Amino acid sequence: MAAAGALTNINTDSMSGRLLLALRNGLLAALAMALLAFLFHSLLRPMIGSALVEETLTITLSRLFLVLLPIAAYLAAGTAVRNMEERHKALILALVAVTAVYALVVGAQALLGAGPFAPRPSLQFSARQTDEGILVEALEAGGAAELAGLQPGDIITAIRRDQVTLTELNQRVGLAEEDDPFRLRYIRNGEQDQLTVRAVLQTGVDNSAIVTGLVIALVIASLSIYWPGRTLPYILLAVSLLPMVVGYLWLIIATFSYRTRGILPLDGAGNIGGLTIENWGFLLGEDIAGLEFSIWQVTLNSFLLAVLMTAVVLLVSSMAGYALSRMSFAGRKFFLSFTLILHGFPAVTLLIPIFFILLNLGNLPLIGQLIGFNTLGGIALVMVAFDLPLGIWLMKGFFDHIPWDMERSALIDGASRWRVYREIVLPQIRPGLLALGIFAFIGGWNAFLIPQTYSIGAGTVNLPVFLNELIDETAPVDWNQVAAVGLFQLIPIFIFFVFAQEYLLNIYAGGTKGSS
Amino acid sequence: MEVELTNLSKKFGDVVGVEALDLDIRDGEFVAFLGPSGCGKTTTLLMLAGIYRPTTGTIRFGDRIVNQLQPRDRNIGMVFQSYALYPHMTVFGNIAYPLKLKKVPRQEQQRRVEAAAETMGIAHLLDRRPGQLSGGQQQRVALGRALVKEPDILLFDEPLSNLDARLRLTMRGEIRSLQKRLGITAIYVTHDQVEALTMADRIAVMNLGRLQAFATPDDLYERPPTKFIAGFVGNPPMNFLEIEFAQENGAMQLRSESLELGLPPEFAAAAAAADGAVTFGIRPEDISLDDYGPVSGEVFVVEPLGRDDLLDIIVGTEHFLLLADPKRKSRAGDRVRLSFDMTRAHFFDPRSELALSWK
Amino acid sequence: MTAYGFMAPAGLLVLLFFFLPVLIVLYLSLTNLASANFTSNLAEMEFIGLRNFQTLLNDQFAKKIFFNTIFYVLSTLALFNVTAALIVSLLTAHINRRAGFIFRALWILPRITTSTVYILIWRRMMAEAPFGIINQVNTALGWPTWNYGSENPWVFVILVNGFIGISFGMIIFTSAIESIPKDLMNASLVDGSSYLQRIRHVTLPLLRWPLLFVVTYQSLSLLTSFEQILLLTDGGPGLYRTEVWALTAFHRALSNYFGNTQWGYGSAFAVVLVIIGVVLAVVYMRVFRFDELVAEPRIEVL
Repeated sequence: MAAAGALTNINTDSMSGRLLLALRNGLLAALAMALLAFLFHSLLRPMIGSALVEETLTITLSRLFLVLLPIAAYLAAGTAVRNMEERHKALILALVAVTAVYALVVGAQALLGAGPFAPRPSLQFSARQTDEGILVEALEAGGAAELAGLQPGDIITAIRRDQVTLTELNQRVGLAEEDDPFRLRYIRNGEQDQLTVRAVLQTGVDNSAIVTGLVIALVIASLSIYWPGRTLPYILLAVSLLPMVVGYLWLIIATFSYRTRGILPLDGAGNIGGLTIENWGFLLGEDIAGLEFSIWQVTLNSFLLAVLMTAVVLLVSSMAGYALSRMSFAGRKFFLSFTLILHGFPAVTLLIPIFFILLNLGNLPLIGQLIGFNTLGGIALVMVAFDLPLGIWLMKGFFDHIPWDMERSALIDGASRWRVYREIVLPQIRPGLLALGIFAFIGGWNAFLIPQTYSIGAGTVNLPVFLNELIDETAPVDWNQVAAVGLFQLIPIFIFFVFAQEYLLNIYAGGTKGSS
Repeated sequence: MEVELTNLSKKFGDVVGVEALDLDIRDGEFVAFLGPSGCGKTTTLLMLAGIYRPTTGTIRFGDRIVNQLQPRDRNIGMVFQSYALYPHMTVFGNIAYPLKLKKVPRQEQQRRVEAAAETMGIAHLLDRRPGQLSGGQQQRVALGRALVKEPDILLFDEPLSNLDARLRLTMRGEIRSLQKRLGITAIYVTHDQVEALTMADRIAVMNLGRLQAFATPDDLYERPPTKFIAGFVGNPPMNFLEIEFAQENGAMQLRSESLELGLPPEFAAAAAAADGAVTFGIRPEDISLDDYGPVSGEVFVVEPLGRDDLLDIIVGTEHFLLLADPKRKSRAGDRVRLSFDMTRAHFFDPRSELALSWK
Repeated sequence: MTAYGFMAPAGLLVLLFFFLPVLIVLYLSLTNLASANFTSNLAEMEFIGLRNFQTLLNDQFAKKIFFNTIFYVLSTLALFNVTAALIVSLLTAHINRRAGFIFRALWILPRITTSTVYILIWRRMMAEAPFGIINQVNTALGWPTWNYGSENPWVFVILVNGFIGISFGMIIFTSAIESIPKDLMNASLVDGSSYLQRIRHVTLPLLRWPLLFVVTYQSLSLLTSFEQILLLTDGGPGLYRTEVWALTAFHRALSNYFGNTQWGYGSAFAVVLVIIGVVLAVVYMRVFRFDELVAEPRIEVL
């Protein structure tokens, strides 16, 4: 207990206290990361063992944590003394603390035979890069390369058919496992030949790695002292969003080009260029990849679905929300808690039985044609029902905030409950209606799973389903064409995004406690 | 329209809102419901309006029992503390709304709304929205909306408490004269006794869901029937003191630990018959600073009210509030003498708190 | 009566699309309905008792899918829906208000982008060299290129769902952080605590309930939603490599490669999720005291 107390109550006024704090934070961070790595590598993997789940992922993650381990430790050690008034003293402390942490980490690695002390795959020869290829300089006696028959002076040009440089070769070897074969093409005395070298695991200490590690540690420690803290969040946030930004960028670029490599548009000769607007020809009614749907029919379906759904969601949930918020009737409490339970219940698990409901609704006389299986009406109804718990709860929250006196006044003025709802109360909750409306419209416009599941044929295909058909049914896929249709579909979403971010942010927390 | 409440009760679950209320209100009368907050006065008003359903009892408008009638069928007008104007409608729309619901023809609506707006002095504001109006103007709109459908009964729920003091004074007079002119029965809920005393023909004082008294303002002030009313009506409040009576030299005296006072002859007989402790009450205006007064005390706190100074004076262990002329420049710590106008004394039974009517 | 009029449309829809389906899926899971003996008439289906559940217990693939699901839910939840969401909300809460708002708004883009387009983007992201965007970066840096679709499908299944999942926790954590009284923050500033110390001692302790809420709510969402996996890998490559429980129910009953749909067996898979869903939903209501928000209305007429 005393030790634990000493660890948590460090006197940060003295230099030694600060140093202790930096050491403690650094070690704690290292321990935490090591624990995570261990968790993924040694606990989670055997648990899901016998190859039931992908091993590569758990290994990748544990390696990722191991890579991050020292960085986190040095950062933690450095930032612990960051707020000292004298910067140079802070730097000295940080450097001392980080070196100590580093020594401990390296010590642990040596003990466990990990990191620079781990056996590394190697082909057991040294070489240097020349213009012709990789020039073999010396072979380890009895090593893998010598056994395979490689000689000094050979010039390695490729692994199988892939041209390689020395860096690439080293990378490939570094990723290899024991006994992995490397089929090397080489030139000896002007003649081409090939041979297979099998990688061996070589023990030994990688001194250069230890030194590099120390340098990195000290750089990070200095950075953690002198780095302007204010910009760090911006950089982290921007980097984390990078994949999405690049993705959308590709979508836009691809739309206007014949073909892309990565995010670069290329022309026929393989140079950057080849821009076109042909991908947008579908807007003028050109056939897309031989599918029989007209894009405008599909767009109209999408639009109808979204509008239908928005209208019904708004009407039904505002009515129910009004009753639950403002009226007293038997069963009110039951309905309220039932709505809440539904709010937490994952409706998507009910896709199978709803198929049967729709089939049977389709058999109803007259309205069966409108709301059964494979009708826009049926699809819209299912989606409305799925959105209802959120909608009712949201609407109820908005109605709760309307002053009772206003409604009482309207009743005394002579209005019926229905007219109070329509003429007095609904106009007061326009922001709520707008938020729920946007939510429902985006939901309807983006609908994929439900239309895909409950429809067949052109009558009900909407844009997302159509897009999926484009990718699944056509071969080869014209990705640039697909991108154009995708971007076309995204236009309303972008518009909502630009003009209604605040509403969107609020409503997507619809599961939160309270009114929204 | 007469209003008659018989044995009216309202319970919210286990909580009693109003209990066994009996009240007769005459046609054209202005009645104030007065009481501290939570006393059931607003609940009663909302039962009259039809918003709440009585748990027991009947409400009669004229010769109709209205218990089962919806608010819209009771032909009442109501003005709320928050005004309850419809923010999305113009002033015209607000006032015309009751008429629109009654399906009054357009031109008739126009005529009546303009007339009501004229009466309320808001004719120039008809195109504005409530958000653009001052509190006083909103209150006038609310009043216009309540009046435009020519109701049989007007209900007010603390309509002036959101206004500033000056405006409250003018609106008090206006509402009162308007009601007299139109001759509509009015029921006015307030916790402000000055409002009740100055406006109402009769005041119904309520406490803890029960009716304490129903009488004219004069009666309530001069002859409070309970200790609660005596303490509640009048500002600053009446002074109370637990006393006993004693006979000395043939005259009746009133005694407590701190003081002794002679009793006027009109109380003597009753006091002689009294058994044990009695609560003695006297209003601050009936105590005066008098250098030759029989009681001596010390000024504890001086609270200047402008026209008067409110003095808190300690006599022995008792505190008395009284009003003094600011010109006297009283200060805390001053030694003073007091005289009591005992002809205006009130006596209450300490257990039942009912007034002992000895005069 | 009027109140029931207001409730009627919602009540009808809830009855049709929540209440009845729960009963029907329970019933279906006790039948052997498949494409060979398909009927939409419930009375004509053949009742086989619990045999579907016996099959499920002995199904080797079901075992693999079960572990897949646990792995997928835990990893996505731990890495993105909670940790990354918490980091993003902490970062955005401590920078310029406007900038923080913009970053948060950008983070909802993955959620509001149509699933098909969103997955289209990710498929190009992970495509083989020379088409894929990540492989283009690899090439440029001189790193080896990968066929991510067949080598590391799980990484992308988790990334794709994680990027969508961040926004939910982010919004909830942010509103919790913003509701922390300024006084508390100022007091700790006066104490001279560092940024990290403030987070550790002031912010995190107050986030306990939001954290618990996000964990429970999002684990249920992850457990039951499968749209992105359906579009990205469809459970592949190979046999059930990235298949999860909810996707299996869908595959068996609604979208079978081989044209042999097994409604009964698929329903058995769905029933497991329905039961978990009902139980957790009731638990939420109790734990998070939603019922305390239920106040009595103050108008009693009509």
